[in-house]
Amino acid sequence: MAERRRIDARGAFCPGPLMELIAALKLVSVGDEIEVLSSDKGSAKDIPEWVNKVHHDMVGVTQESDCWRIVVRKAK
Amino acid sequence: MAASPLYILLCSGEHEKLQMAAMMASVAAVSERPVEVFVSMNAILAFAKDVDPGARYQGGAFSRLLKERHAPDALTLFQQGKDLGDLKMWACSMALDVQGWDIDRLQDGLFDGALGLTKFLSDSETGQFVTL
Repeated sequence: MAERRRIDARGAFCPGPLMELIAALKLVSVGDEIEVLSSDKGSAKDIPEWVNKVHHDMVGVTQESDCWRIVVRKAK
Repeated sequence: MAASPLYILLCSGEHEKLQMAAMMASVAAVSERPVEVFVSMNAILAFAKDVDPGARYQGGAFSRLLKERHAPDALTLFQQGKDLGDLKMWACSMALDVQGWDIDRLQDGLFDGALGLTKFLSDSETGQFVTL
């Protein structure tokens, strides 16, 4: 059964949230999801761009009161 | 279609330029783009082993901000690019000779070896070239 793991990268500067996501994706199974919380304004566009480029799946990007919530599904 | 390789010629010892080189190299590498970095001149001094973290990076106003705000460490970013992507780093053989250093004077785990500029320039004809 697919699982979801959360990374709290609030306070980390670019490209920290992306690097934390990539490191986490190495450790989970195909179909699992990673939820990244990031206060870095660039992450809301940078992470989806990276996800599309390397062919994982974007689940969603939502703006919270103090951060962006970006959910990615491992596809390969 | 495979991404065009990125070749970065890193000469400056300024913290701001080291940081940008590290950001470009690591992000490109984890984006499935091969990256090679050639480190020469003052830049090589920042990669010396056993340097006090406060003294490793020298720069201007933005360097102070990077330190105060705990931005990702440039050498750590290069290491992440190597660990998570296809990133090779080369120490300029001339810079090592002038400095009187062997490759083992540089930070462990980052460099793939020493290289001459001629070979790096020849290899870089296949990709995009950036100088910092």
